[in-house]
This record gives sequence, structure tokens and C-alpha cells, in this order.
Amino acid sequence: MEFLGYGREDGKFGVRNHVLVMSSVCCANGVVEAIGRALPEVVTVTHAYGCGCGPEDTRVSRRVLAGLINNPNVGAALVIGLGCEFVSSELLVQSAQSKPAEALVIQQAGGSAATTAKGIEVATRLLKGLETQQRVVVPVSELVVGLECGGSDAFSGITANPAVGGAADHFVREGATVILAETTEMIGTAHILKRRCATTELGEQVERLVNEQEKRVRASLGELAGMVIAPGNIEGGLSSITEKSLGCITKAGTTLINEVVEYADCPSKRGLVIMDTPGYDIESMAGMAAGGAQIIIFTTGRGSTAGFPAVPVIKVSSNSQVYNKMPGDMDVNAGSIIDEGRTIDEVGQEIFDLSIRVAGGEQTCAEINRSAPFGYLKEGPTF
Amino acid sequence: MKSNAVKVNESDNVAIATQLIKKGSLAVVNGEGLFESAEDIEPGHKIALVPIAAGEDVLRYGEPIVRATCDIERGGWVHVHNTQPVAGDLKE
Repeated sequence: MEFLGYGREDGKFGVRNHVLVMSSVCCANGVVEAIGRALPEVVTVTHAYGCGCGPEDTRVSRRVLAGLINNPNVGAALVIGLGCEFVSSELLVQSAQSKPAEALVIQQAGGSAATTAKGIEVATRLLKGLETQQRVVVPVSELVVGLECGGSDAFSGITANPAVGGAADHFVREGATVILAETTEMIGTAHILKRRCATTELGEQVERLVNEQEKRVRASLGELAGMVIAPGNIEGGLSSITEKSLGCITKAGTTLINEVVEYADCPSKRGLVIMDTPGYDIESMAGMAAGGAQIIIFTTGRGSTAGFPAVPVIKVSSNSQVYNKMPGDMDVNAGSIIDEGRTIDEVGQEIFDLSIRVAGGEQTCAEINRSAPFGYLKEGPTF
Repeated sequence: MKSNAVKVNESDNVAIATQLIKKGSLAVVNGEGLFESAEDIEPGHKIALVPIAAGEDVLRYGEPIVRATCDIERGGWVHVHNTQPVAGDLKE
């Protein structure tokens, strides 16, 4: 199967052709926002970090921001730095693979107003450069699809997540890459995930990853750990942590796990891969987008509105109430499995078909709403 | 026929009620009327699709989620009162 996408010089394919305007450090956010106000067609990314962190957090910052620049949906990038930060805009631009990317440094470009004016000029040129690029026929195997759940409810594990699992299996059959993330949500299923790994070594790696995450959650939350890793909603009918977490990992379908990658790293294998991310939606999506996901499928029961910069996010509601209560936020109603007698397979097929249309340019609700919150993992203290 | 319970995986021995299934009323799983419910089953809760013997695994998503601690009849309510966690689940 094929879709129409944008070819990149590094051999990857985007489903969008965005100009990304990003700050390398939060001190540069004002200039990025000013450029975004002048040129609403660019995708702006601002964040709270880029300086004042320890070496590990700085490393993660660089990997996430560079990964986003290299996301295939980004056709060109402009990075604004201040000049004295740890995560320099020039270094980020150097990591851009075969796409136009430029850096501006506020302290060297004459301050905020001058950098904004210069930035508008550069971004306008980058936008113009992408105007003529045509979509080409691309096999679905070139897609990297991220999976996310946020604001889950008792129906997520019955409707939306199993339906997404059907779509995930379909993507894998087509030779695409599917990322299962949110390590916290895997707690209690290490023994099951281990069995589903392609090799014994990989199985042990997954088991370690999940067990380590459980230890970390217990160490940092103490008595409150139960809020994260308790069976959850016993009144809602969940009888064990394994049952609760299976409700999340059922999004990944039934195929073998081929690889485990670090937060914000690019998978090197196709098929189903696990990325080590927190359960927090925005930070988890940042990891997958930096890892090259061109599309994210996001299930929600309570009604999350979050999209992501430069990456179309498809919202699948687990129940019809939220679908009807929040018109214009949900792309697919998996609640129809309950109310309209549709099967999990039918809704899975609908999600797959919509994903292919979205890959070809159809806008998701979150894109239309310009809902694109951004944030990424930071674990250590700020100095 | 309008379902009141969903079975996710072919090998599952429980289905999940999507609305209250009153004791004695028909459990309709994935469009098929199967049997009368032995107990009131609240939405989101599990109903046994077959008799589950003490010590047997309860399967949802095709995986063991808990183990029965007593015999559970077909149409019975399956939850923490008649099951225990499987090995690999958390102990705390």
C-alpha cells in the first residue's frame, strides 16, 4: 500500500512539509513566538529548558531538539539561540541531516527585534523553498507510527486501545514501524512483553526496562506510587495491575517486539519497537516525534485535546459521550463498538484507513485546532 | 443483537460488560446472545464466558490477567473477590 509523501535527501519521507522555527533555549522563546505571529504558516516550538541542567539532561535536550529538526515532516528549520546557553542553536543546526537548517543567535544578531526581523526573512525564504516540492508515491512501509494514550477511562481497554492494536498490526503487516511507548504503563506486564520479543536478549532488556521503571516510580513517589501502579480502578472493574497495563499495551497489537530504543532515539528496525518514555503524554510524544514518528495515534477516554508540533496526531475516543461532547477534537469514535455494535476490527480498519489519508495530507482535529503543546523529559535538578 | 459485553481476544474466557447486565438477563457478547448472567455485572466488569475452575487462568487480551481462587460459573462475576494476581504481577 502507498501514500503521497515528501521525499527527503536522507531517504526518509514526510507526511507534512513544515518549516520549523525552534528555540534552542527558553530565553529565545520570545523571538520564536514573534516570528510565529508574523508567519502563522511556520510551526513554532518553544520550551522551558536548554540551559542550567546536568550533562544527562543536556544530552537529552540535544537529542530531542535535533530529533525534531530531523523529523521527516520538517522540510526546513530555523533555530533561534541566545548565545551563552548549553544547547546551542548552531550545534543543533549542524545535526540537521540533508535539509535546509539555519541558526540565529540573539546576542550576535543585534538583540530581539533585529533577530526577529532577520528570522522572519530567513523563515520566509525557507517557506518559499518548500513551496514547489511535490508529494511523491511512498510505500506505507516508510511510516513510523507512534502510539499514545492519555486521559484513559474504563472503556479505553475495551474499545479504543484494542482497535488501535488492530491498526498497529496492519501497519506492521505493511512493513511500517510502530512505536509502543510509556514504560510506566507497562509495569506489571514485563513477563508478557518478554515473551513477545523477537530474541531472548531483547526479552531480558524489556524485562529490565520495565522493572527499573517500577523501582524508579516507587523510589520517587514512595507511598504515592500506588496512584501510578496500583491496579487502578478496582471499582471500575480492573482486577490486577497486569490487567490494567495490558489495556495500554494492547494498542501495540499482537506482533513481535523487534527493538527497544532509548527516549528520543530513532528505531533502526521495522515492525513493533518499544521506546522508553514516561507516561506523560506530551513528553512521550516528544520522544516518539524526535525518534522519527510522522504520525501519532492517541487514544483517550476523558478527552485529551493534545496534538504535537509538526506531527499529525489522530485522536481516538474510547466512548461516544466524549466524542459527542467535544466535537472537533476527536477523529475516530471507538465508542461505536459499544453503541453501534461495530467490531474492534472494523474500527481498527477505520483508524488505519484514516492514518493513510492523514499521511497523504488530510488534517487531523488537533492540526485544525493548532493544538500542539511541547515539552520533553528532564529528570535531574536544575542548577 | 445489541451487545452488552465485549470480548477482545478469541481465546478470552471473560468478556467486559459495557452496560449493567442484570442477574438473569441475557449476556450479548460481540452481537451474539450467549447465556443468562448469574449475577449483576457492572459496566467495565468481567463476566465469565465459560465455567472457570479454581486455579485456572482468567484470560483477557488473550493473556492471563488473574487466576481464579474458587470455581466460577458461566455468567458469574470475575473480580478481586474470586481471583488473585498471576506471577509477574506486583505483590504490593
